[in-house]
Amino acid sequence: MTPHRRLRTAAILVAAIALSGCGSDDPLGHPWRPGGPGEPVENLYDGPVLRGQLEGAGSSAQESAMQAWIAGFQNIHAAASVAYDPVGSGGGRTQFLEGGIQFGGSDAALNHDELDRAAQQCGEAGLAELPLYISPIAVIFNLDGISELQLTPATVARIFDRQVTRWDDPEIAADNPGVDLPDLLITPVARSDESGTTENFSEYLADAAGEAWPYPASGDWPVTGGQSAQGNSGVVQTVTDGRGTVGYADASKAGALGTVKVKVGDDFVGYSPEAAAAIVAISPREEGRPEGSLVVELDRETTEAGTYPIVLISYTLACRQYADPDEAALVRAFLSYVAGEEGQQVSALTAGSAPISDALRAEVQAVIDGIA
Amino acid sequence: MSIARQAGAPASPPPAPGPSRPVRRVRHGLGGRVFAGLATSAGATILVILAAVAVFLVIRAWPALTSSPEELADGVSWFPEGTTLAGFVGPLIFGTLLAALLALLLAVPVAIGIALFISHYAPRRLASPLGYVIDLLAAIPSVVYGLWGATWLAPRLFPLWDWLGRNLGFVPFFEGPASSPPRVVMTVGVVLAVMILPIITAVTREVFLQTPRLHEEAALALGATRWEMVRMAVLPFGRSGVISASMLGLGRALGETMAVLMILGPGFTYSLALLQVGRHQTIAANIANQFPEANPLGVSTLIATGLVLFVITLAVNMGARWVISRRAEFSGAN
Amino acid sequence: MTTTPHPKATPHPQAARRSVAPPTGVSVMETVGLNVYYGGFHAVHDVDLGFERNEITALIGPSGCGKSTVLRCLNRMNDLIPAARVKGQVKYHGQDVYAASVDPIEVRRRIGMVFQKPNPFPKSIYDNVAYGPRVIGMKVPDMDDHVEQCLRRAALWDEVKDKLKESGYSLSGGQQQRLCIARAIATQPDVILMDEPCSALDPIATGAIEDLMIQLREEYTIIIVTHNMQQAARVSDRTAFFTARPDETTGNRTGLLVEYGLTSQIFENPSDQRTEDYISGRFG
Repeated sequence: MTPHRRLRTAAILVAAIALSGCGSDDPLGHPWRPGGPGEPVENLYDGPVLRGQLEGAGSSAQESAMQAWIAGFQNIHAAASVAYDPVGSGGGRTQFLEGGIQFGGSDAALNHDELDRAAQQCGEAGLAELPLYISPIAVIFNLDGISELQLTPATVARIFDRQVTRWDDPEIAADNPGVDLPDLLITPVARSDESGTTENFSEYLADAAGEAWPYPASGDWPVTGGQSAQGNSGVVQTVTDGRGTVGYADASKAGALGTVKVKVGDDFVGYSPEAAAAIVAISPREEGRPEGSLVVELDRETTEAGTYPIVLISYTLACRQYADPDEAALVRAFLSYVAGEEGQQVSALTAGSAPISDALRAEVQAVIDGIA
Repeated sequence: MSIARQAGAPASPPPAPGPSRPVRRVRHGLGGRVFAGLATSAGATILVILAAVAVFLVIRAWPALTSSPEELADGVSWFPEGTTLAGFVGPLIFGTLLAALLALLLAVPVAIGIALFISHYAPRRLASPLGYVIDLLAAIPSVVYGLWGATWLAPRLFPLWDWLGRNLGFVPFFEGPASSPPRVVMTVGVVLAVMILPIITAVTREVFLQTPRLHEEAALALGATRWEMVRMAVLPFGRSGVISASMLGLGRALGETMAVLMILGPGFTYSLALLQVGRHQTIAANIANQFPEANPLGVSTLIATGLVLFVITLAVNMGARWVISRRAEFSGAN
Repeated sequence: MTTTPHPKATPHPQAARRSVAPPTGVSVMETVGLNVYYGGFHAVHDVDLGFERNEITALIGPSGCGKSTVLRCLNRMNDLIPAARVKGQVKYHGQDVYAASVDPIEVRRRIGMVFQKPNPFPKSIYDNVAYGPRVIGMKVPDMDDHVEQCLRRAALWDEVKDKLKESGYSLSGGQQQRLCIARAIATQPDVILMDEPCSALDPIATGAIEDLMIQLREEYTIIIVTHNMQQAARVSDRTAFFTARPDETTGNRTGLLVEYGLTSQIFENPSDQRTEDYISGRFG
C-alpha cells in the first residue's frame, strides 16, 4: 500500500466507523489478498524464475476473473505475488494515474484528460489499455413458466423506461408468437450504484433503440423511482424475489432466470461467450488513441448475425515502460497469462466471461510484448 | 462504626491538634497515579477521536461544500441537475430519519415487552436463558441481518404490505400498490427494528431489574395487580433508561448501512409512502452504494452527507440527554 | 441500636391512659399456628397472635427473630419471595387470607402497609396519594378533597399543600414517610402494617410519626414492627416479644413468639426471663 492509499483507507474507515456507529459493516469492500501458495501443480513453465510483487486495483466487475487469474498465475510463478483491490473503476483509474499501483482495471476507456495524465505517469512509452475482460450482460426476467423471450432493442428500452407496463402488451406479444404472456405488471429492476454494467446497458439502449430510449448513456441509471438494487447479485436477487420483474446483470449471475434474446439484424440472439466475443471481433477500434491503447468502439447497432451486442468490456491498464526491469517482466508475464488461452479459459469458467478472439489476442500480445 | 469505636477506645488517644501533627496529603502511590493517568488519557482520547472525525469530515467535504450546484451536477454523475447540495441531502436526511424512526416505533414497544417479561413476569428458569438469547442477538453482524432481511424476510412480508396497501391505502403511509419485491422503507424499518431490538431490550431489562424493591412493594401493598405495579413503579423508574436505550437503538438505526443497502431500492424523494420502492434512501447506505465508483468530487459530496449524519447523530444524543435530565427529578433513582 | 444499653422504657402516658381490654377472641386479625419457611429454612415457628381493633400492637425482638416475616404474612407480601411457604392460618375478620379462594390483591387492598424506608412513587405528591383509590377503583366523590383529607390525617397537608404537583422525592425523609402513610390510608384499609417505619428517620421525624400513629389509632388497627423498644413502649397498646432459637443441627435461627400481652405488662412485669433480659438490655 502506498502512503496515499493507506491514508485514504484509514480515513474512510474512521468515517465508516463513525457514521455507522457499529463498525461491523464493511460497505467499501476488502482488498482481496491471495492466500498462501496454491496446490503444487505440474509446472509447465521453464523460463527464468519471476519474483516480486504486483499491485492492482479497479473494476469490481473484474473481481472474480482477477481472483482466478491471480491464483492461476501464482501457481506457475510461486515466487511472485499479485494483489487486486476491487475498489471500482473510478478508484482504479485514479490510483493508477497517481502511480500508486502497477496495473488497473477499468470498465471505461480513459478520457482525454486521463490519457494526458497517463502520459505523465508512464513516461514516453505511454500506456497499455487492453480489453482483456469481455462479459455479456443478460437481460433477465422472472415469469412463471417462461424461460426465454424475444425482444427488439426498442421494446427493451420501452420496458425499462416504463412505457410498456404489462407483460401481455401487444408489442411484446408480436415478437413472441406461441408464448402465453401473463396479464402482469412489469417491474423493471436497475442498479442503484453507479456501475459499468449500467453504463454499457444504457449505451446499448441509447445506440440501438433510437428514439425509444431518450436518455444518454450513463453509469448511473437515468430512470428514477423504480426498483433498484446494489450490485449484480442485488439485481438478480430482486428479480428473483419479485413477480413480473425484469433487470440486467452480468450474464454469469443470471442463474435460472429467464433471459431475453435481443434482435440483431433479422435474428434474435441470446447471450453466449461466442456471440459476445463476436461483437468485439467485428467492432472497430476507436480511432485517435495512442499506441498501445486498444479501445473497442462497440458496434451496438450491428446487424451481423451471431453477435450479442450487450457486452461489457473491462480494460486492463498498465504502463508500457517501468523503471524497474524486473517489475516490467512481472507485468509482462502476468498480462500474457491473462491474455493467453489458459487465462481466458480460467475467467470464462469462473466468471462467465467471453474469451477474446485469436485475432484480438494477437493484437494484445504485441502490446504486452512491448512492455519494458 | 469503626471510626466511632476507634474514637471511643482508650488505647488510642485522640491525635493532638496543632502544628505538631500537620495535616498531610495522603500519598496515592504509583499504581494510583498510573491508573489516574490512564483513565484521564482514555477520556481525552475519546474527545480527540471525535474532534479528528469532525475535522476529517469537514476537510474532505470542503470541495463539495464550496462547489456550485452546476459544478456538482457536471462532476458527479448521480448528482441531480438543478439542485443545490442541500437539495440533494434533504431527501437523504428524510429517508434516514424515516427509516430510523420507523424502526424505533416498531422496536421500542416490543423491547419493553420482552424486558418486562424477563424482569417481572418470566419464571426465573426461563428468564436468564432468554436474557442470554437477547444478548446473543445483539452480537449478530448487521450484514447477516441484511442478508436475512433481503433474501428471507422481504418476500414473506410482501403479503402483509400488499394487504396494508389494499385496505389502508387511504392512509398516506400505506399508499398502494405495495411494491414487489418489497424492497421498501417499511421492510427496512422492520429489519432495523429487529437489529436494534436486542440493544434496547438488554439496556431496558437492566434498568427494570434495578427498580427499587421498595417501589414495587409500595404498589403491591396498595393492592395493585402485577401490571398496575409495573405501570406505577417499574415504568416510571425505568423511563429515563428506556429513553437512553431507545437513543442507543436510534443511533444504531441512523448509521446502519449494510442492511439498508441490501434491502432498500433507493430513491430521492420526500414521499411518505412506506410501501413503495424507489422513494427513500439513507445517508449511510447511499455512501456505501456510491463510494466505489465515485470520483474525487463525488467522494467529497458523499463525505458532506456523512457530515450531516454526524451532526444528526450528535443532535439525537444531546436531545436524549436533555430529555433524561429533565425527567431525572421524577425517576425515583435515589 | 440494640447493642446500646438503655434505661428501662416506660409506656407512653397516652397509651397508659387508654383502657385496654384483654383479647376478646373477635380480633380484627389473628394468626393461628403460623409457620413460615424459606425453602428448607424454618423462619418462624408456631405463632399465635390476635390484633384488636383500634389498638397499636408492637412486634419487638432481636434481629432475625422473624417479626418482619410475621408482619409480611399478614397481607401476603411474603408471596413475592419465590421460595416462601406458609403453614397455619392468618385470619382477617375470621377468614383465612391464605385460603385458595382468596386473592392476595384483595387482601392487600384491605390491609395497608408502610415500609422501613420511605418509598413514595416517582410521581407527584398528589398522584402518590391518589394512586391507591384509582387503582382499586374506589368511588371517591372528589379526588382533590380525598387527597387533602388523607394528607391532613397524615399531618402533612400544611407542609405540601402548595406543591402537590412536585415529585414525592422533593420532600424530606420524614415527610416522605408521612406521605407513604397518607398513601396507605387513602384506600381506607382497616389495618395498617408498619415495618420499622422510623428506622431511617431522625428523632424529630420519628416523634412526628409516633404522634401520627397515636392519632390514627382512633380509626385504624395498627401493627408495627420496631427495633426501638422505647418506641414500642411509647406508642403501643400491646406488645409481642419474639426471639430467635438456633437449630441444633443446622445452626439456622428460627423465630418464635416468647410473650404477648399489654405493653405495660410486658415492659414492667414480663413473665418470661428472655423478655426481661431483652427489655432491660441484657440481651446481646
